Amino acid sequence: MPTQPVKIPVQKYYKLLATYLRPHRRQVLLLAGCIFGSIGSQLANPQIMRFFLDTAIKGGSLKVLLWAAFAFIGAAVIQGVFSIAATYLGENLGWTATNALRKDLLAHCLDLDLSFHKLHTPGEMIERIGEDVNALANFFSQFTIRVLGNVLIIVGVLVLLYLENVWVGLAITLFVMITLATILYLRGRSLPSQRAARQASAELSGYIEERLSGTEDIKANGAAPYVMRGFFKFQRDRNDKQLYANTRAARIRMAAVGLHYTGIILALIFGVILVRNEQSSIGTVYLFILYTDLIFRPVMQITRQMEDFQHADAGIQRIQELFHLHTVIPDGNGPPLPPGPLKLQLERVGFSYDGDDEKVLNDISFDLQAGETLGLLGRTGSGKTTITRLLTRLYDYHSGSIRIGGIELKDTKMADLRQRVGLVTQDVQLFHASVRDNVTFFNNAIPDRRIEAVFEELGLGRWLKSLPNGLNTILTGGKGLSAGEAQLLALSRVFLRDPGLVIMDEASSRLDPASEKLLETAMNRLLSGRTGIIVAHRLSTILKVDKILILENGAVLEYGYREQLLRDPRSVFNRLLKMGLEEVMV
Amino acid sequence: MKCWQYLFYLIRFRPGLFFLNTLIHTLLSLAELVPGLVIRETLNRLSGVSSHQFGVWWLIAAIAGVTLARVCLMLSNTITNSRFRFAGESLLRKNLLAQIFRHPGAKPLSGTPGEAISRLMGDIREAMINLIWINELIGLTIFAGFGFWIMARIDLRITLLIVIPLVIVIAIANLASNRVILYSRARRHTTGVVTAAIAEIFSAVQAIKVAAAQKEVAAHFDRLNEARRKAMVKDRLFNEIENSVFQNATNLGTGIILLLAGGAIRSGSFSVGDFSLFVFYLSRLTDLTAMFGIFIAYYKQTTVSLERLLALIHNAKPEIMVEYGPIYSRDPLPEVPQVVKQESDRLVRLEVKGLTYRFPDSNRGIFDINLTLDKGSFTVITGRIGSGKTTLLRVLLGLLPKENGVILWNGVPVADPGSFFVPPRSAYTPQTPHLFSESLRDNILMGINAAEAELEAAIKAAVLEDDVAAMKTGLDTLVGPRGVRLSGGQVQRSAAARMFVRRPELLVFDDLSSALDVDTEKILWDRLFEQQEATCLVVSHRRPALRRADQIIVLKDGKIEAVGALDELLETCEEMRRLWRMSDWEKKEIEQDR
Repeated sequence: MPTQPVKIPVQKYYKLLATYLRPHRRQVLLLAGCIFGSIGSQLANPQIMRFFLDTAIKGGSLKVLLWAAFAFIGAAVIQGVFSIAATYLGENLGWTATNALRKDLLAHCLDLDLSFHKLHTPGEMIERIGEDVNALANFFSQFTIRVLGNVLIIVGVLVLLYLENVWVGLAITLFVMITLATILYLRGRSLPSQRAARQASAELSGYIEERLSGTEDIKANGAAPYVMRGFFKFQRDRNDKQLYANTRAARIRMAAVGLHYTGIILALIFGVILVRNEQSSIGTVYLFILYTDLIFRPVMQITRQMEDFQHADAGIQRIQELFHLHTVIPDGNGPPLPPGPLKLQLERVGFSYDGDDEKVLNDISFDLQAGETLGLLGRTGSGKTTITRLLTRLYDYHSGSIRIGGIELKDTKMADLRQRVGLVTQDVQLFHASVRDNVTFFNNAIPDRRIEAVFEELGLGRWLKSLPNGLNTILTGGKGLSAGEAQLLALSRVFLRDPGLVIMDEASSRLDPASEKLLETAMNRLLSGRTGIIVAHRLSTILKVDKILILENGAVLEYGYREQLLRDPRSVFNRLLKMGLEEVMV
Repeated sequence: MKCWQYLFYLIRFRPGLFFLNTLIHTLLSLAELVPGLVIRETLNRLSGVSSHQFGVWWLIAAIAGVTLARVCLMLSNTITNSRFRFAGESLLRKNLLAQIFRHPGAKPLSGTPGEAISRLMGDIREAMINLIWINELIGLTIFAGFGFWIMARIDLRITLLIVIPLVIVIAIANLASNRVILYSRARRHTTGVVTAAIAEIFSAVQAIKVAAAQKEVAAHFDRLNEARRKAMVKDRLFNEIENSVFQNATNLGTGIILLLAGGAIRSGSFSVGDFSLFVFYLSRLTDLTAMFGIFIAYYKQTTVSLERLLALIHNAKPEIMVEYGPIYSRDPLPEVPQVVKQESDRLVRLEVKGLTYRFPDSNRGIFDINLTLDKGSFTVITGRIGSGKTTLLRVLLGLLPKENGVILWNGVPVADPGSFFVPPRSAYTPQTPHLFSESLRDNILMGINAAEAELEAAIKAAVLEDDVAAMKTGLDTLVGPRGVRLSGGQVQRSAAARMFVRRPELLVFDDLSSALDVDTEKILWDRLFEQQEATCLVVSHRRPALRRADQIIVLKDGKIEAVGALDELLETCEEMRRLWRMSDWEKKEIEQDR
């Protein structure tokens, strides 16, 4: 994904946000009303002030002066109320809209292929979905309230100045244009440095995040100094890039201050000339100064928001890049999978991972009748895991054909397929959420009774009863849970979905014999009446399967019915079994 | 320690930068006084009340000059400000990270790594922003002092009266600051939860995809987001209300000036120039009071941030967080110290007496564990699931804090197992090893300067040599985040190589063969048994390991059920027989099949 420093006009922000703002049209209108109200009262105040000064100098009545003073205070209070309302509406809208965006982005990223996720750490995703969208939320609320409102103030002031004196109006218009042009130019110049700084920051947090998940490995192998060294490197890089970005951003503010006083000087010069020519009153000169000042606060605020704007700018680009990524695994269009156990046929299936010429799988063929189970054997790296990934369509095969339940795999509907094919991997990922949410994947439609029944069936019943809040107990990232219990939880996830094909990738690893036995029983129950593929390193796990497939270097080394292979004294399967037996005879 | 004490320590860490920044802010404030005075003079001259003779144009030129100076100062402000902040950020982050590695490693950090990141990045950043903010306050105070003096000389009565609303504002800000802390805490907390959820969800992406649960997970994520929105809006709204109160204090002040000045201007005792100066300075004065209010809020926010940071290093002394030390912002990065095995590091005998650990909020743990390991011996810990095997290793290695018991290395008590049980004395391969997004070589070496031959030997011992040979870029292969580009077995064997290459006296590993196939496992055990000099402590239920063991420790419910050699245990220990039968059943089944 090449990222080029493309300037993104406001229109693009609008496009992105419009989708998410449309449902809240009334609030948007209300927000606009509040902003207008606030601006109106801001524009009125200098007028009241001028009236006051001119009246006072001319020696007007005290009563009138008092009224003017009260009007001034009143307008100020009204402005305060409007701006509070605008803040509330703006923030609320901003976060509501970006929450929807965040949710869509998360769902979109989850749909992206595994090859994407292998390249991006969870730390990076925090930056994209967390920080970048946050910057966008800030941007939205600030943009509407500060930037948009301020642009309106500028326009209002200019109109009023034209009405006072065309030359003053022209001068200040020119001045505002120069100011904005300068700032926009500086903004463009500082964008790449901001992006580099964000990237460096993402790398630093990615580095720390990854190391924090492996503290045990680092500590007990005495590698903390090494990890600290890497940390210093990433931190220095981030600090250097951020400092550079900050000085670039400071140029914007410096220009703003310089221009602010240029504006006041301009107003003073005009005031001096006009008063000396007796073309205007002192009150009017003061009005010029107030308006130039008033016009400048918005410009200052706009520039101050520019930094947020730039964050959002860089962020929005990355968000759009993410949205433009699509899975290369298209959803199928075929008929739904038949109910019950699923038949499986693989014919000369070939596959290699992205950008790799090396074939991970070569001409793999095998078939399973509905209800049959296959034991998948092979050294690590022989392609077993890859087969399980192909069958769940985490990757798509490049050649050959896979038919499941009689339907070409690429034609199946993804949702249907994943409902009907259950995969248990050796790594069990748990969420910081309730036990219920962990097994149902946050699907509220599954009644507790079913979950409890499944737990009971798997031998997790006692464990469940030992929990303080039962199914509502919050699991903290799998802490306080043994590997066996975690494994059984993973099994219950699949149990609950009642699939027609069950794939277990090394599911029985890491368990002590007692739990392995327990799991065996549970697996057998799950496999009865279902088609199954078991990737296993333990001979015990494959003793009940119907067929055996032994892989080597991505090709089929041996394939057949287990009993046939057992009878053949020269089969690889037999050799493997003997090794297992010999190992016992040592 | 109090919040201000931390801040004090942080200022003292880079006092030069801090005070240079103070000076810059002071100058900036003084420069800001000038335009008000110049405008006043100009207006006075225009209305013919000024006594000064020099020209109006010179006055205007003065504003231009001062503005130029201000712009230059702003750049130095940014540089000193950023440098100071980054130095403090780096120090805090370094100290916290180092401490996290120092304290018992397997003990849960407060929250998940994602949550910790939100603290190590966000909270630290904000704490330093809030700190350097003091200088802004100092600058404004100087402005206020001079401004007040100038105004008082013009009209003391009006000056005093417009200060009243400002005082009220400060009082309100004080009263409201408790709320500020409450709302900001809620905002941070909910943000932390959202951040942690993203990390968790993307760590589990395959499981989610396979379960077709993208929608449900997104909905769950949305619920967390909504909670955050509510906290966020509340926090921001409250800030805006405060802001608005401050803003209105200016306007109220201006209103008071209008009310009072009307008569004075009519009578000529108060000029339009004076009036403009009052209004001009007043807004800055209000900024100051607002800043006082914000400062109180910031200070409290910083207290919250520091609390959250301290929670990361729970039991450690809080001073550690601000302990001075190098941060390598310029100097060459520190060399990784190479440990050399001393004579005293050699293991003769390791004894453990009465070792006890209980998991918080549960009855589980290990209780009164006694064991002895002699040099060159091979000890296997076995037992059922949940019997405390892994916990025992963790407590011994100091990855969990022991509650009771002593550990003796060659008869000498080990004071802090966590810092003692590291290479060259011991190395460890956990049940689920973690690799990091670096090259395979860096993952194995992790900073040690092993000779190529030593590295090769370790790779061979871990039965990884064929895998490495098959990789296109060999040891320079990048393993991807958390080693995802390797298979489970490759990760495990890489971690084993990481352990072997350290050539420790004591090898500790937890179920090393769990992700390996039969062939690989057999080779691995064979090669391990060839290494005579190393002492091994392993968790396993594999037959080759049990058979070869000099002693087997059978754990049951966290207690030692029996200790001894296999044959002996098979005769005397029912639990051992049971476990043995379990690992034996595959054999019987195969025989039956035949």
